[in-house]
Amino acid sequence: MSASSVDIQEQAPGQYVDLRRIELLESLRNEEQTWAKLAPRWCVTNPDPPWQVCLDATCDALSAGGTLDSLERRHAEDELETVYSTIPNPERQLLALAHIMVSRGLLTEEELALRLSNVRARLEAV
Amino acid sequence: MANTHNHDGHDHSDGGHEHPAAPMVDEISDFEVLELAVRELSIEKGLFTAEDHRAFSEWNDARSPAAGSRMVAKAWTDPAYRARVFEDPLSASKEVGVDWSEPSGFGTTSDYMHMTVLEDTPTLHHVIVCTLCSCYPRPILGHSPYWYRAPNYRRRIVRWPREVLAEFGLVLPPEVEVRVEDSNAKSRFMVLPVRPEGTDGWTEDQLAEIVTRDTMIGIAMPKPGRTSDGPRPIHKASRPVHSGGRPREAAP
Repeated sequence: MSASSVDIQEQAPGQYVDLRRIELLESLRNEEQTWAKLAPRWCVTNPDPPWQVCLDATCDALSAGGTLDSLERRHAEDELETVYSTIPNPERQLLALAHIMVSRGLLTEEELALRLSNVRARLEAV
Repeated sequence: MANTHNHDGHDHSDGGHEHPAAPMVDEISDFEVLELAVRELSIEKGLFTAEDHRAFSEWNDARSPAAGSRMVAKAWTDPAYRARVFEDPLSASKEVGVDWSEPSGFGTTSDYMHMTVLEDTPTLHHVIVCTLCSCYPRPILGHSPYWYRAPNYRRRIVRWPREVLAEFGLVLPPEVEVRVEDSNAKSRFMVLPVRPEGTDGWTEDQLAEIVTRDTMIGIAMPKPGRTSDGPRPIHKASRPVHSGGRPREAAP
């Protein structure tokens, strides 16, 4: 596949989600931060990161509240597979959820960026 | 075994503790931060409440294939229960501790309260898929593995079931019929595999150990000594997904 066809592919609007890349999420697309890399680095054997249960709960709660239906989210995740193909799951699922929420206006990129920095500062405060 | 950890040049030996603490990731990843940020903003915006999230977290945390394993093992040893498994799977689920109506009183929004248990025989083998998305009997089997959600599996298992099963290490003789059951938005399926030879006189607990998640999806067969599934490869699809189960022209 040529570079130009990749560009066309990535710019195409999806049926369920806008596939255009989101700068903030691009900056988080770091494979070294994924559980598949972190766990062996720290000799941890859990197959999944501890936050995965919370991510699944967020997806369930969004669907239960009528904000983002689970089936629509799964279709959008499928469409976003090309955008986040280098990142394994469950990190890809998380990036896809954030992407869907930003692209649908449920969150803005600016408020998410601010919250990311606040959360990190809080977690690293001790 | 004595463990010695070295952090910042300081050695800490276990000092004779028999059960050293399990290692943990002492690093805050961007993804951990992102999960929390998305959740907090959602709660602040009123998309759901913290209480909703706690209820779903606890529900998710309690899910595992163990309930399904118990159901199969019980069905193998108790003919009356086996009959109930096929007649009324939701009530049979309750007997192994799973109430499909949790956590909301009407289940989750993606686990509709309808389940069918598929009975394997020596000449009939079932395997489940959700070609549309990734419908899966979460209450009874826990979370679906990522290969099950991947378009590659969903597209190929319905086209070339024997070949895909063989990739998972399950080679079926031609005389065994293979049926692929496609879940839909409101139906969940689980496979009740054939009790393997060499398990006569086993207790329910012993039997439950060999009924792994993959045997209830149908990509593996239970057998004595096989008590875990091991990692499975996730293949990428060569063509991206641009559909959602309805043709583009039908979209509103």
